[in-house]
Amino acid sequence: MNPLHYFLLALKASLFSTGGFGNIPSMHDDLLARGWATERNFAEAMAVGQISPGPNGLWIISLGYFVNGVPGALLSLAAILIPPMLVLGVEWLYHRTKHHPAVEGFVRGMALAMVGIFATVLQRLLHDVGLNTRTILICGASIGAGLTQRVPVAAILIGAAALGLIFR
Amino acid sequence: MSVAAARPPAKVPLKNIFKIWFSLSIQSFGGGHATLALIRRAAVQNEAWVTDLEFTQYWALCQIAPGINLFALTILLGRKTGGAAGVAVALAGLALPSVTITILMTMLYARVRNAPATQAALNGLLPGTIGLGVVAAYQILRPLAVEAQKSGLVSMIVAAGVLVGSGVAVAKFHFPVIVALLGSGAICALESWLQSTYLDRRPLP
Repeated sequence: MNPLHYFLLALKASLFSTGGFGNIPSMHDDLLARGWATERNFAEAMAVGQISPGPNGLWIISLGYFVNGVPGALLSLAAILIPPMLVLGVEWLYHRTKHHPAVEGFVRGMALAMVGIFATVLQRLLHDVGLNTRTILICGASIGAGLTQRVPVAAILIGAAALGLIFR
Repeated sequence: MSVAAARPPAKVPLKNIFKIWFSLSIQSFGGGHATLALIRRAAVQNEAWVTDLEFTQYWALCQIAPGINLFALTILLGRKTGGAAGVAVALAGLALPSVTITILMTMLYARVRNAPATQAALNGLLPGTIGLGVVAAYQILRPLAVEAQKSGLVSMIVAAGVLVGSGVAVAKFHFPVIVALLGSGAICALESWLQSTYLDRRPLP
């Protein structure tokens, strides 16, 4: 594991994506290929990121810890602090080009692709956890509760963990 | 007109900026929606840093900025309240507690990872987390699908093609993710530009 290389991969993943989970597909691709993280590390880091306070995007802090301890977590932090700075440039640029159809189309295309790739990553993570009735039921219940937007995320995750403990 | 030019920037002491973001960070359990609501209440109602409309415009810009949207929002509000120093102080206030707690939680988890009870809890927690990932993907997709539907059949076919095609390209044919993202952006930019040029459905620049 080369720390500088890890930092650059994390920076690239965040620079070319938007939203806290947008960098998952790229990190998943790069880190699994190098053997620096496992499928399970990704699912674990996403779980910690959703339970801990702050943006969900902090999942990558947890992943950094799995890859290289506290230095890895701090490298992740450095990598996710830089790309959002470009919002200042986006603000400037947006007020000059916002009505150009190609700009709007480009943003839409990147977002669509992110969702498409993210779906395949989620499918692989689910497969890694182990496809059985319990997994599918808990995942389905979590989707249902999440879609209502009324159940707090923490409550959904605590409930899911409790189901795991009950139905061993 | 610049979003920030609606009225002169408020002067807020750096110490106060730090304190407010630090307390927001500690309270922000429960994901992005809960945190956004907390920030809106602090920035619009309690502190009156920005108007409701400005806040909404800021949030829209954060959607297309790279990286974590809440960090981008913190940067815009930090600049509004304290310039470059405000950006640094606001980000430090937001990141310090939440990042520290995230690292501590991960360390704690790494210690108990192999206990049988942890494994059992994970067998529920991980599918639950993945389910919430599905919800997040759906929430990003929904407005895009509505927009494509409004733009007509061609846009819908292109959008569906990009959505499925990018997933297949990466998962089955091992395209680098960055290539799939930029390629999809280029395809939709071209489609959008052609539609506006030849079908005159959208306003020209």
